[in-house]
Amino acid sequence: MPVTRLLYPLYQLGNPQLRIFRPNWFLTLVRPGREQPPDTAQFRIPMEMTKYDVKNYLEKIYNVPVGAVRTRIQFGSNKKRNHLNQKVKQPDYKVAYVQLAQGQTFTFPDIYPEKDQVVAEGSMEEMQEKFMEDEKQRQKLDPRRGGVTEWFGL
Amino acid sequence: MAARTRLPLLFPKNLPPFRNQKLVHTEAAVKEPAYPPIVHSVTAKSKSALRQKALQHVQKICASPVEEKLSLVTRIQRKKFVVYPQSFARHADRWYQHFTKTAYIPGLPEKFTLPAGDESSPPAAVPGIEDDAFADLRSMVTRVILQEHWHIKKRKPFMYREQEQVVGPMLRNLVTGLTYSLAKHNPLFLLSSLDVNPQVNFYWRRGERIIPRGHRRGRLEPTRFQIDDHPHSQIRITQQLPQFTPLEASYAAEVPEITTAPNMMPLFRRQYDNNIFTGAKLPDPACYGHTQFHLVPDRYHRDRMARRQESDQVEVFLRANGLASLFAWTGAQAMYQGFWNHEDVTRPFVSQAVITDGQFFSFFCYQLNTVALSVETDANNPRKNLLWGTESLRLYEGVKDGEVVGLNDGVIKLLVQFLMNQP
Repeated sequence: MPVTRLLYPLYQLGNPQLRIFRPNWFLTLVRPGREQPPDTAQFRIPMEMTKYDVKNYLEKIYNVPVGAVRTRIQFGSNKKRNHLNQKVKQPDYKVAYVQLAQGQTFTFPDIYPEKDQVVAEGSMEEMQEKFMEDEKQRQKLDPRRGGVTEWFGL
Repeated sequence: MAARTRLPLLFPKNLPPFRNQKLVHTEAAVKEPAYPPIVHSVTAKSKSALRQKALQHVQKICASPVEEKLSLVTRIQRKKFVVYPQSFARHADRWYQHFTKTAYIPGLPEKFTLPAGDESSPPAAVPGIEDDAFADLRSMVTRVILQEHWHIKKRKPFMYREQEQVVGPMLRNLVTGLTYSLAKHNPLFLLSSLDVNPQVNFYWRRGERIIPRGHRRGRLEPTRFQIDDHPHSQIRITQQLPQFTPLEASYAAEVPEITTAPNMMPLFRRQYDNNIFTGAKLPDPACYGHTQFHLVPDRYHRDRMARRQESDQVEVFLRANGLASLFAWTGAQAMYQGFWNHEDVTRPFVSQAVITDGQFFSFFCYQLNTVALSVETDANNPRKNLLWGTESLRLYEGVKDGEVVGLNDGVIKLLVQFLMNQP
């Protein structure tokens, strides 16, 4: 991507103060663990946030039509022990299920798609792969021996 | 030693079958088996023993009388999904259609839409009722509305109890008045029973899941559902209403399929008594349903929905309510006749419902074609239940200067048609 020089407005004394307004909480869109209906999106939200906050947040900032919001608090495990045998608490978090209105649907995108690269002919990687395959083949036991180790036999 | 003829063991099976049946005395061949059939053990620790136990249980239920059947079907208490007919969930109607295997057909069945006045006489407003009788009914409805306006609305009702305290009595007046005045025309009502504030329960199983954790992990468990419904009032009759369409017409209907678990609706699981109840006990002769009347509570009133910008869910809510209530009621009636999961209905069962919030009326008809909904009986069962329903129709605009403005005759006509339905 070509680097373009952005001209930011230079602040000079006497100018009106430059302000940027950002929300003071953050939502994390997560992939649902259980299968959800197609119109539902799942978020992890701060503990203090309520359903109404989530609705306003999504509607006002992102213009997402929100139909209904349901929240729950996930108890973080308190079972783990550290090296001093003290209990270690995983933090709790709040989960919000947002149902979209106006018939919109959402599926969590595949962020890390499986790459199906074709290895170039004669390249280093191909040779390496071939070598590994050969080695594996060589290390396999003789199938005719039926699992009896090499130790027995001549 | 004489050489024995070497015949294979399966010799008789390898012979060509007798094509000419006249040669064989088949009548003589069919004999009462001397021994009882060999069945699997029920005490062994095996899968076939489990299957045998289940089979024997089914046979036991099939053989028992209705009362015992109901108690056997509902006996085992496990956690079950509680289906609320009046649900806050979005798109509840699609979920309920899936749970009850019901296809929704917009509009009413042909019986109500076709004008029956095709004889030489000018078409009456409602078949079976003269115009002056209809005018009487119309004035009765007007009276009921005015009564609500002048005598019931004395003070501001309690918060979120307006429907219950104001519209409830009005609907009760309307239902009792209509049934009373229509008893002349519909002889069914002479023997009918009108329940006010009854209770209707239904319990059924549909779908299954693998238990994820616990000591029964990995086993298949049927998903159970329970509806506990409280209609405003209902009319029960002694004869069954005629079917709207034949059973075979439902084979082509479409039921939406939902693959996600029911608790994503959201629906919650509770454990308590499994109940199946039509609103009357078993020996009651008025065991068939005619019409149910439901009241939209304040929580789901369309004004409140509009305030919450959920106007698109108003019709969805009504449809879900009509579907769930009617399925529960009709299913319970079928169960009272001795039909259950493994003995599917031989004739369709039919009920009707009217859902109202005082001004808007919506009409639903339900035809129960199958109660075999659980996984083992649902496989290649082409029957589907059918629900017909209208959008909500406005009965009147308002009351001005002691007169009802904009009284919609079509709605009264539909109401009367619903109540005039008879075999």
